[in-house]
Amino acid sequence: MVVSPVHLIAAPLAAAFLIPLLNKLYRDAARVVPGIVFLYNLIVSIILVNRVFQSGPIVEIIAGWKPPFGINLLMTPFSAVLTLLVSFMAFVIWLYGFRFKRSLKGGVVMYYEILQMMMAAGSLGIILTGDLFNMFVFVEITGITAIALTAFYRDRDGAEAGFKYMLMGSLASVFLLLGILLIYTQTGSLNMAQIAGRMPAVATGVKITALIFLLISLGTEAEMFPLNGWAPDAYSQAPSPTSAAFAAVLGVAAIYALARVGFTLFDHGSLSAFLTVMGFLTMLFAEMAAIAQTNLKRMLAYSSMGQMGLAMIALGIGTEAALFGALFLIINHAVIKSLLFMSGSYFIYNLNDKRLSALNGIHKRLPYVSFLFSLAALAIVGFPPFSGFWSKFYILTAAGERRMLPLIIGILAVTVIEMTYYLRVIGRIYFAKEETEPASHKPSIQALVAMTSLAVLIIVLGLYPDLIAGYLHKASMFLLDKQTYIQTVLHLS
Amino acid sequence: MKRIFVVFLLLVLGLAVYRAFHKAPFGQNRIGDVERPQSVSAFYLKHSPETLHTANSVTAIVVNFRGFDTLGEVTVLFLAATGLASILYRRKEEEEATEKAHLPGRIQLPSSTLVRTGAKILFPLILMLGIYVFVHGHLTPGGGFQGGSIIATGFLLMFITYKRFNVNHNVLIWLESLSGLAFVLTGIYGLISYGSFLQNTGWTGRLNDLISGGLIPLIYIFIGIKVGTELTNVLDTLLHTKPRRHE
Amino acid sequence: MSNYQEIISQYRPLLEIIVYGSAVALILVGLYAVLVKKHLVKVVIGLSLIDSGVNLLFVGVGYVTNHTAPIFSPGYENAADRMVDPVPQALVLTAIVIGFAVTALALSLVIRLYRHHKTANVEQLNRLRW
Repeated sequence: MVVSPVHLIAAPLAAAFLIPLLNKLYRDAARVVPGIVFLYNLIVSIILVNRVFQSGPIVEIIAGWKPPFGINLLMTPFSAVLTLLVSFMAFVIWLYGFRFKRSLKGGVVMYYEILQMMMAAGSLGIILTGDLFNMFVFVEITGITAIALTAFYRDRDGAEAGFKYMLMGSLASVFLLLGILLIYTQTGSLNMAQIAGRMPAVATGVKITALIFLLISLGTEAEMFPLNGWAPDAYSQAPSPTSAAFAAVLGVAAIYALARVGFTLFDHGSLSAFLTVMGFLTMLFAEMAAIAQTNLKRMLAYSSMGQMGLAMIALGIGTEAALFGALFLIINHAVIKSLLFMSGSYFIYNLNDKRLSALNGIHKRLPYVSFLFSLAALAIVGFPPFSGFWSKFYILTAAGERRMLPLIIGILAVTVIEMTYYLRVIGRIYFAKEETEPASHKPSIQALVAMTSLAVLIIVLGLYPDLIAGYLHKASMFLLDKQTYIQTVLHLS
Repeated sequence: MKRIFVVFLLLVLGLAVYRAFHKAPFGQNRIGDVERPQSVSAFYLKHSPETLHTANSVTAIVVNFRGFDTLGEVTVLFLAATGLASILYRRKEEEEATEKAHLPGRIQLPSSTLVRTGAKILFPLILMLGIYVFVHGHLTPGGGFQGGSIIATGFLLMFITYKRFNVNHNVLIWLESLSGLAFVLTGIYGLISYGSFLQNTGWTGRLNDLISGGLIPLIYIFIGIKVGTELTNVLDTLLHTKPRRHE
Repeated sequence: MSNYQEIISQYRPLLEIIVYGSAVALILVGLYAVLVKKHLVKVVIGLSLIDSGVNLLFVGVGYVTNHTAPIFSPGYENAADRMVDPVPQALVLTAIVIGFAVTALALSLVIRLYRHHKTANVEQLNRLRW
């Protein structure tokens, strides 16, 4: 059978409805089935990415009605790259969490696996859909799964973090709905391509109001500065594979949505300054907060926020080079931050203590995990042999081309803050003295495979960035090309 | 002081929202007609009776034109039920502890005979109304979501009337999963035989017949069953969580 | 019948204030509850009020003066040009279901919080610095 983008969403949906039944027949079905689905998705997305880069964007019509009347899924080079990234990361995170909560039987694990799987499926939906309201539905799917997963652990903070997330998330969805309705009243359409085509004719006042509504809601998802109160709590209270997925799956989808709204629906020029300033504020605030943290997962959460800020800066600069940097950064952020959460949670699991001060001298107990954590920490700060270097380098170059000197100085200054706290953690792991006990929880073999593959990816991309540079250039060029997007969707042969 | 600030902020926001929507005046015709469409609705209003032979054009949009949204919507419900169960899940020991504990403050008195008899008479009627609403979803205002909610209200009535009323969880889970799966499978059927996910069959019958609209009534029946069982499940989870004695 | 239609046409601006105004007012009342109220259940009620307001706004925006419901019942088969906009009604169906899902999830979180803290007051549960 010929594969098409809808498989990426239909397969997890069918699996999610099937798992409760299969779980009755076979006890471990809930653990195994998501893995099969993710593997299938990974294969499908590799095939589709190849097809997109060889023969142009794929438009998939749903229910047999051509756009703008039916909903369409759309795979442009830009979304293809992110689809592959999300599929890959979802699979790796599943592998890492395979033995998660093995001690708990039956129901709970099933709920966890279904929610985790649907979070990835919802993010794929956000990335693939070409319809504004459909995007809202997928945003809600990811939102509900994320809230439920945040509150998964049975201690009191989980529920509180979940409630906070729920509050911000549902206010965000109200604004998203209002924005969509406003756009519908003015353009008479929900299809993104048609909206993009009709947008220039809309009165400026309404356009700005709609843009503000959409930015408030998507900014909440993308952890933009004043709207990111939920993020540190959600990241730190959620189970570790979920924290990794927040960075690697949800974050990617959020940045995609922001880019799609900013570049395709609206005119990028009007947004440029806003995104740059907000991105910088986000980054500054996040890194300042990160350095003050005493809790490992909260520190990583704030660091995630900082990376999202940097991605927003790159979107704000908006040149082809900057978008290239942004894409590279998103990939790096997904891979490296997941590795940080994965290895970091083994520290916490062993120590039963989330505080940074408990990490003293842990490399003797968990040498390999400590090595991976340090590698990822160095990579995310941007040390040269790792992939993190290239994304920062390209974004700074892009800023240089636009002669944004204050911005460059600002980013470099914030990087110094980032370096300080990551190096401090590495110092604790390797050089601080602490009495050592034998490790009680060695990582499972699946987790080791998952973490090692991410580490290999970091090094390979760091040494040979040209492996993906061609694809990323094409992808970022396509994002800037609004007319082709409209033509591709609305004039199907 | 905080309140005054909040009220001020809200008034500003309200004014902004109102001003924005004032640009889309109430009652103005923004649909246009088929020759000069201003909105996609013109297309839907034309093809809903002519091509799909579905009298209720809202149903045609929900199930067919924008059917993918509805699949997502059903998934949201399913995930909410799953999330609810995962949040309120309790281990067996905890459950036994609560079973034994006498729960002060909980109403233990049985409902009066009047209420019980009334509920018994009403329950099948409510179920029948719910089924009627979702079976006729393509002809009358109503449909799977509305019918499903009506069915759930019937179960709610039983839950609050009979303290010991228990639904069979296995049946619920089977119905829930199978109807959801059936929805996805009809989608895949369209993908395989017509090349587009969720595509309707070519045969759509006559306008205003009970069997018309191709797959639309079938899908709405699946949705009705799914929503009904899902909401019942949610109610069951929420109602049967008693406060723990030891914390 | 025609009398009724005339009245509606005549008072359209007033009706706009009533319909849009009440929808916006519902949103504002809900937001006020979310921002100011201390009890978690009241916060959740506020959230569903906001949802209702948005839904009302959807239906209101779809209305076309003197047009009928978008259902081609017997006798209305050719009335396509006399019907209100069906799209917002379809969207609002989705929005209602999603609102319900969020409300249910929120209530379950409130139950969890209440079980642990024996209170549902925001001020007494600030372990995570709101």
